[in-house]
Amino acid sequence: MSEIRLDHVSFRYGPKEILSDFSLTLPGSGVTVLRGPSGCGKTTLLRLLAGLERPASGRITGVSPGETAFLFQENRLLPWRTVEQHLTDVLPRDRRREAEGWLALTELTGEENTYPDALSGGMERRLALARCLALGGALYLLDEPFAGVDPQRAARIMEGLKRLPVPVLLTSHESNILSLAHRVVDLEGPPLRLLGEIKEP
Amino acid sequence: MEWRKTGKKLISALLPPAFWLGAWQLCAFLVDLHVRGRGNELLLPYPATVLSALVRLAGTPAFWGTVLATLGRILAGMVLGTALGGLLAALTFLSHWADRLLSPAIRVIRATPVVSFILLILLWTGRDRVPVVISALMVLPVIWGNLSRGLGETDPQLLEMARAYRFSAFQTVKLIYLPSLRPYFLSAVTTAMGLAWKSGVAAEVLCLPRPSVGTQIYNAKLYLEVPDLFAWTVVVVALSLVLERLLRTLLRSRKGGVSHE
Repeated sequence: MSEIRLDHVSFRYGPKEILSDFSLTLPGSGVTVLRGPSGCGKTTLLRLLAGLERPASGRITGVSPGETAFLFQENRLLPWRTVEQHLTDVLPRDRRREAEGWLALTELTGEENTYPDALSGGMERRLALARCLALGGALYLLDEPFAGVDPQRAARIMEGLKRLPVPVLLTSHESNILSLAHRVVDLEGPPLRLLGEIKEP
Repeated sequence: MEWRKTGKKLISALLPPAFWLGAWQLCAFLVDLHVRGRGNELLLPYPATVLSALVRLAGTPAFWGTVLATLGRILAGMVLGTALGGLLAALTFLSHWADRLLSPAIRVIRATPVVSFILLILLWTGRDRVPVVISALMVLPVIWGNLSRGLGETDPQLLEMARAYRFSAFQTVKLIYLPSLRPYFLSAVTTAMGLAWKSGVAAEVLCLPRPSVGTQIYNAKLYLEVPDLFAWTVVVVALSLVLERLLRTLLRSRKGGVSHE
């Protein structure tokens, strides 16, 4: 995939300016971690890339909204669907067998028939991640995928993400996740500002 | 331990009805005392008198036909009202204009005294159809109101998820809207069931279709057979409560609003 570019993008929530004439180029492969204080605009940046928000001005190139898979900051699970159904619901009929692989990657094998209310907080997060991965697309946008997930397990899942053929953009604060990423982008805000980029740590 | 638990449960279940039966017995006794045995049956019969009237009625072959006929009318009204209420809720949710047009009309139906409807519809249609139409008319606004509120309160985060995860319209309805509506629907049908019985039997009393519980209530009043009046009322209350309980268990037995494949 070609690189993803934000050119002079502005966006505001009511009176609050989140992005102001913001430009950034992101690589079209590998796992990139966005790091920055909470509330700096990382989530808004991901939502813009996912096409859930429209920039007031500027343009985004290299990605079209219909081909991203976005992991919301909240789990947004369906209490009336089992773990496996969460995945098969987003998979086309002929690809439902892939659910197994995504459950293995997120270490949820064996929980196929469990309902969300019987899962722990970390497991719920991993289920939300598994569903997003199953949805698939040309770019994964993961907002805090490892919130509540224990560090060793998060590191193993991170290794799995690095083997995916699709670029991954995720936000995280955990230092062990940052150390495993292909690239780390340092941000500050709001309004969102690029502090620096560490390549291949 | 098991024994004591069941015993406790039994006592807590039986205590309230026993209390009210006792209160009824006491009141009947006081009335009896006041009129000194000269026809307290006309004012407030004893529970035992009502029970014996009920047993006498239940022994007649016409009783069950009467109960079934009324049950059929109420259920038909329930089904009709629920279907129409659901349809209108979907319509007013989907279209702003349908909402502007229909919502005031449904509110007017809700506020109109039920007897006005009964007498009007008696003029328009046959007496046999009135209880069905009346029950449906009382049920419709309740179902519509609850489902409309439920649709409006569907979690916007889940709906955004459905959009972002490329759910089809069918999937969004089946996986998000219907399961979210379940508690609203449950509370609506249980409320509506009580209303359907009350209004349906009132319509029967005024229109006298045969056979019907309403006609029997009317006759009991006409001939001052107050124990019979009580007995038929007990039948209606019992049927209403049993059906409400049945609906509750039926709708609660499954998780969410859709079957598990």
